[in-house]
Amino acid sequence: MRLQTILRRAFLAALLSLSASLFAGPALAASPAEDFVQQNIHRGLEILNNKQLSTEQRRSQFEGFLMGLTDMKRIANFTLGQYRRAASPGDIAAFETAFQNYAVAVYQSYFSKYAGQSLKVTGSQQRSSDDFIVVTQLIDPNDRSGQQPLEVDFRVRTDSGKPVVVDFSVAGIWLALEERDQFTDFLGQNNGNIHTLIAHLNDLAKQFKAS
Amino acid sequence: MRVLQALAIAFCGLVATACASTPSTPEMIANNDPYEATNRDTLKFNGKIDRYFVIPTVALYFVLVPEGGRRSVHHFLENLTLPTTFVNDMLQGELKRGGQTAARFLINSTIGFGGFLDPASKMKIPDHGEDFGQTLATWGVDEGPYLMLPFFGPSNPRDAFGLGADVALDPTNYIHYKQHLWWFAGQKYFTILDLRAQTYSTVQGIQRSSVDYYASLRSLYRQLRENAIRNGHPQKSGDLPDF
Repeated sequence: MRLQTILRRAFLAALLSLSASLFAGPALAASPAEDFVQQNIHRGLEILNNKQLSTEQRRSQFEGFLMGLTDMKRIANFTLGQYRRAASPGDIAAFETAFQNYAVAVYQSYFSKYAGQSLKVTGSQQRSSDDFIVVTQLIDPNDRSGQQPLEVDFRVRTDSGKPVVVDFSVAGIWLALEERDQFTDFLGQNNGNIHTLIAHLNDLAKQFKAS
Repeated sequence: MRVLQALAIAFCGLVATACASTPSTPEMIANNDPYEATNRDTLKFNGKIDRYFVIPTVALYFVLVPEGGRRSVHHFLENLTLPTTFVNDMLQGELKRGGQTAARFLINSTIGFGGFLDPASKMKIPDHGEDFGQTLATWGVDEGPYLMLPFFGPSNPRDAFGLGADVALDPTNYIHYKQHLWWFAGQKYFTILDLRAQTYSTVQGIQRSSVDYYASLRSLYRQLRENAIRNGHPQKSGDLPDF
């Protein structure tokens, strides 16, 4: 795919991969991981299309949906990289909360831009007995350009007893990897002070909620 | 091909020497970004160029040219890159993709009115880009340390060398005529304008949501390049970390 096309579409979509999944249409599921992604897409669709919900109710239900779909603590811990080892349990717990608020606020702020698009499950790849990548395509019904649909992949782990999404990829960009790169660099610039990162995440979450 | 490889390695060495005066921390080395301090300064410089020169020009472009016109300009500029893409397809041994590139160029240049329209996409001939940085990667040349180039943005020695090599590989640059230099400069200028016009809101979104904009750009660039080098194929099993 052409680099500038990827840049244009993927930068936004990387932040929106989750929210975009909420507008999906039906498709045949061929594995438990695909089935899991497909079912949750429908659940998210119901929340967003429910016009009887107020903005606050929709936001609250969206957060609940996000928590059910993903293992947010696991993602948060991954994004701390090598700094997790030196952090106290209290700091890790505070970071997990801040990360969750940040992630939900960022996704919520953007999801409306992808309204009307759908996500179609096209297949999956099994990396190990409990590690899957579910491949989907973002379909824009109004797109008449003939360009290939954007690929959105979900990494699903089943090792904790139930399937959970641990990362999303849009046009080859894995979101948790990108967040880990940001956070560890930020911590490196700030002497590994996790409290500075928590404060920064909380500020960003507030800004997104206010906008 | 070997000459180009040798040139690439020599260029990497030159860039590395130029940046060697900046002290590196263990974190910078671990991130394969030993010149991070210099790179961050360059990003600030690029940000000023963007803010005071590029963005006002893009704003004017939006005012003067309607959306349909901007889309046509985009198609036209993309069509101009296809000869370079074709050469790189061939250098990578990608015959099928090379055929698609040649078909796109022929169709869009003729019934697409010189490339201003994109009938090839409507005929389901897939679009893709290739550059010499990607070609070097398929030949096994390592990317080298991360670099933030003035004016050009995120890169590395391999891709920076590829930028220059693509100019040399573009067959249209060997067609000489009186206004060749002006044409070349105009093409590059409008390419920057088009790219920035298309990524304006996206970049704004990244700046707004990033904890560390510099690190975010670096990660996005690396992942995008790796994906482009794989031609969008899935990562190998060991390429993704455990959670």
